[in-house]
Amino acid sequence: MKETPKERRLATPETILALLLLLLLAGLSVASPEFRRPSNYLGMTRFFIEVGLIALPMTLVIITGGMDLSVGSIVALAAVTLGIAWRDWHLSIWLATALGVLVGAVAGLVNGALIVGFRIPPLIVTLATMAAYRGLAIGISRGDSIGGFPNEFRALGRGFYYLPHGIEVPGQLIYLIVFALLFRLFLARTGTGRQVYAIGLNETGAQYAGVPVGRVKLLIYSLSGAMAGLAGAVLASRMSTATSDLGLLFELDAITACVLGGVSIYGGRGSILGSMLGLCIVGSLKRGLFFLGVEARDQSIIIGIVLILAVFVHQVVVPAVRNWRLRLSHSKEGSP
Amino acid sequence: MNRRSLALLALCLPILLLLVGCPKTEPPTPSTAGPLPSTSAATPSSPDAGETIEIAMIPKLVGIDFFNACERGAKEAAEELPGVDLVFDGPTEASVEGQVEMIENYTDRGVDVIAVACNDPNAVADSLKRAVDKGITVITWDSDADAAASGRAFFVNQVRARDLAETLVDEMARQAGEDANIVIVSSTPTATNQNTWIKHMREYMAEVYPGMKEAADVLYPGEDQAAATMATQDVLKANPSINGVFGLSSNACPGAAQAVVDAGRHTEVSVVGLGTPKAMRAWVDRGEIGSTVLWDAVQLGYLTVHVAQAVARGELGPDAESFAAGRLGEVAVEGDVVVLGKPVVFTKENIADYDF
Repeated sequence: MKETPKERRLATPETILALLLLLLLAGLSVASPEFRRPSNYLGMTRFFIEVGLIALPMTLVIITGGMDLSVGSIVALAAVTLGIAWRDWHLSIWLATALGVLVGAVAGLVNGALIVGFRIPPLIVTLATMAAYRGLAIGISRGDSIGGFPNEFRALGRGFYYLPHGIEVPGQLIYLIVFALLFRLFLARTGTGRQVYAIGLNETGAQYAGVPVGRVKLLIYSLSGAMAGLAGAVLASRMSTATSDLGLLFELDAITACVLGGVSIYGGRGSILGSMLGLCIVGSLKRGLFFLGVEARDQSIIIGIVLILAVFVHQVVVPAVRNWRLRLSHSKEGSP
Repeated sequence: MNRRSLALLALCLPILLLLVGCPKTEPPTPSTAGPLPSTSAATPSSPDAGETIEIAMIPKLVGIDFFNACERGAKEAAEELPGVDLVFDGPTEASVEGQVEMIENYTDRGVDVIAVACNDPNAVADSLKRAVDKGITVITWDSDADAAASGRAFFVNQVRARDLAETLVDEMARQAGEDANIVIVSSTPTATNQNTWIKHMREYMAEVYPGMKEAADVLYPGEDQAAATMATQDVLKANPSINGVFGLSSNACPGAAQAVVDAGRHTEVSVVGLGTPKAMRAWVDRGEIGSTVLWDAVQLGYLTVHVAQAVARGELGPDAESFAAGRLGEVAVEGDVVVLGKPVVFTKENIADYDF
């Protein structure tokens, strides 16, 4: 018997994650009166929008079987560039922002060129550039922090929409939703998007099948850099400051969201929706644990345990359920 | 469109509709409208004497000796004061994002007082302003925020810059002589505290010890102990006449001490600086380094909680000149700054009493 489309939809890891997220939100809402305040649900997203912007291209990078550890440093490099361009070179704040994003894209392109050109593993390349870009950011800013940005720039990361009853909705939530849709369409609806999966499943095979592997990789690592640059601008705005220690450990947070969202670290599998659900799960959990009085150091431990559980679910439980369903349908076919 | 796109759209559309289609939606406005005239932060939430005051005390980071000592002092004060509920919680790294998230989290939770040791004066200012706007009493300690932009009520300062500079120079004169040839090992070139101290040290040297000379330019190894060691080694080789080294940060001081002791020159070169007692203790105990200068971290935490509760209860206002802080007695209030006191010189005799 063939599975009906409805059954297939229910079996996806995304459905499981969405259910998990709803359960988590419900549980935390029951447990904590602060968490169930209406302004909390959308308001708390402002703490993980920047990581979300990075997790989008990170999903593509990991699907190709790669990794980008340099994104946190690119966040700092872009933010510092933006700050210096605005304060010292007297560019308009939006021109400076564009320059920051451009520097991010170039930094990503350099990653891609090293990975493709010299065939060095992405983990090694981006580990090296993670140190190099952070060092560059410290060098350019000389350890200084740049603040006092004009008000129109503050709206980028500190603006709110107001719903009735004074519910705050962070403006940057809109950017994340728009970019998530764009990345979703790119990955699922374009030829290049399908090539991303092909590279992750079998790079040599994809090469022989005529996939321009090098070009696709250059594109996604540049995208990764550009989005990290954008995240740097949003973060600099939300923090009202541009310093070289922005974006510390962002690479780990973004990878956590992806892995939790079912993106396979071996490549070839994963989706934007999954990563975004993973992002929301980690973000809600952190906020909920805070309201329940769990201190920052203990939160990290719990997030670590959740990540290990998630990998276990994706690697062991989901395939097991799939096999079980398969056997079930076979046995139904076999019965008279 | 396939099913997954539809599912994503289904998830996003209600939110988008809510935001874009809602007739009462206002345009995005920054939550801060620039530096507003600072209002008295104590007025909006002044719990009566009987009510419990919830204080969130946020250090630069958790898990280091200095802030652990502050936490101990803070808890002692919280136990001593009636009706004080203290949470001491900070980011696990000294990151601005972690600290801002924490300030905003405590703001949303609705505590009575937020007391922050700021990682960056600009970064926290907007978040603190948001807290002040929501009626929370905000004070800073250890490192101040931009006072006007944040609207904080008080800054609990561990020591006056001038007092610290004088103690350091006096200590150098005592150990290396009044006409010592000295070099200063600082932090980064833009570190505000260090630059202020250097200015005061130069003034005081010119005034009281005219024979004391800077034999080399100020060194800037950053907040890096190994770099401070190397920089000190180089400058001692290049200028054999140097017989005094100032280490002006908690990394520069042990770094400089390491360089001097490793070279076996501690009998001729004195190191004076701002090392924590724990980092300097081995050298001080062996008599290789004469002393280290800092402030008492336990008392800083203790005083901060006293100030926090007094401001929240409206007992400490803008025009106070001194303030009775439990076991510390009367401490000086200068404008919107509460001063802990004189720096402490840790020597062989007392260094074992401090564990930070």
